[in-house]
Amino acid sequence: MSDNLDLTALAAKVRDALVAAGSTFRADKKDAYRRAIREETDPKARWVLETILENAEAAETNRSPLCDDSGIPHLLLEIGDDAPVTGRLLDAIRAGVADGLRALPGRPMGIMGGDRERIDQSGGLDPDSAGVAPAPLLVRRLPGPGLRLHVLMFGGGPAIRAKTYRVFHKHDAQVVLDEIVAWATDSVRQLGCSPCTLAVGIGRSHFEAASMMLQAQADGDYAVQSDMEKEITRRVNAADIGPMGLHGKTSVLATFLKVGPQRASGVRIVCLRPACCFEPRIATAELLP
Amino acid sequence: MQHLATPIPEDAIAALHVGDTIEISGWILCGRDAVLPKVVAMVRDGTAGQLGVDLHGQVVFHTAVSPAGVGPTSSNKLEIESSIAPLSAAGIKIHLGKGALHPETVAALDEHNAIYAVIPPVTALLEAKTAERKVLAFPELGMEALHLIKVDRYPAIVGAAHGRSIYE
Repeated sequence: MSDNLDLTALAAKVRDALVAAGSTFRADKKDAYRRAIREETDPKARWVLETILENAEAAETNRSPLCDDSGIPHLLLEIGDDAPVTGRLLDAIRAGVADGLRALPGRPMGIMGGDRERIDQSGGLDPDSAGVAPAPLLVRRLPGPGLRLHVLMFGGGPAIRAKTYRVFHKHDAQVVLDEIVAWATDSVRQLGCSPCTLAVGIGRSHFEAASMMLQAQADGDYAVQSDMEKEITRRVNAADIGPMGLHGKTSVLATFLKVGPQRASGVRIVCLRPACCFEPRIATAELLP
Repeated sequence: MQHLATPIPEDAIAALHVGDTIEISGWILCGRDAVLPKVVAMVRDGTAGQLGVDLHGQVVFHTAVSPAGVGPTSSNKLEIESSIAPLSAAGIKIHLGKGALHPETVAALDEHNAIYAVIPPVTALLEAKTAERKVLAFPELGMEALHLIKVDRYPAIVGAAHGRSIYE
């Protein structure tokens, strides 16, 4: 069935989505920044927020990277009723990612060599931006027809400060929320590139929690916040960390929380990523109608 | 806003305080985790002269230099923060990066009349303020080699000076 697909055109859509993800703030994120600038009273904090938004406008105009750490591509593929997902289609997505990394251009930070060399970085760096391989593909059902790809670019700073671990909930959701706030306050303080968007997944395993964290970024909307998300954001902002840690009330713009299925147990696995001031760097391509 | 151009004189650094906003122009050094320990080793070996740049009055920007541009990495990463004291002793006046430093590093900066400045990670804006770039040493490290770039009015906030930190 994929013989009928224009895989070249599909790869071009993926390429354009990756460039957009690495260079563009979505409208709701721009609005969140404008709101934060209006409400921030600390002059240094406001200057940082204004500079980040100005940077986003420049990056969008130039279609150039928002950040020199252009990120590792993470892909979420949503498959509709009869979408023909084949090996060749996955190859086309991979080709589109490579083309996008060259076009952005992404930072050439792929590490070469065998297992040991890739761990200690002794194999050298691939000079090709496309040498940065995407993370394993995440797949979920798209209600109705179509085939949709979300491209997210994950930077290194948030990865250093992210945490996936178990929380004993004591049959009280507030216990888990309190732990998330404690983790987030610590990680945002360490990050440097705040204001953050806190991406949180809660699942039954580390894999599931991390996949929920990624989906939370794909589904999140700065204008739509649940009571739990608002509480996490409000409490972390009370810590006076501020943009880039320079103090102020804007440490966190929003929280994107996704709670998956849970097991009959006293433990929940929580994945928290303090997404940096540019993240989620995300764009979406409609690969098939 | 105070304008500074490399090489930066001692009295200009002594006049700066935590929270001051500055702009930096001129040729500056760029390096991060992989290369800064090598530069420190050259200083200790007495071979830093081979770099071809006088470190006195210089700026070290904690960044890679790649086709994606430049932008600060966390200065409190072990291999970067541990370079700040010895490079200050060697004459570096401004360490440009992001993130809170440990108290002993803040004290070492003061001891050598050097400062730490925080620069927003605004790669797209910095690209328009970066005129030239060249590899100075360790080209095998690629984007993590020691680079020299020519910049025009890079914006920053003084994050540590005179034994004080903006993160206190």
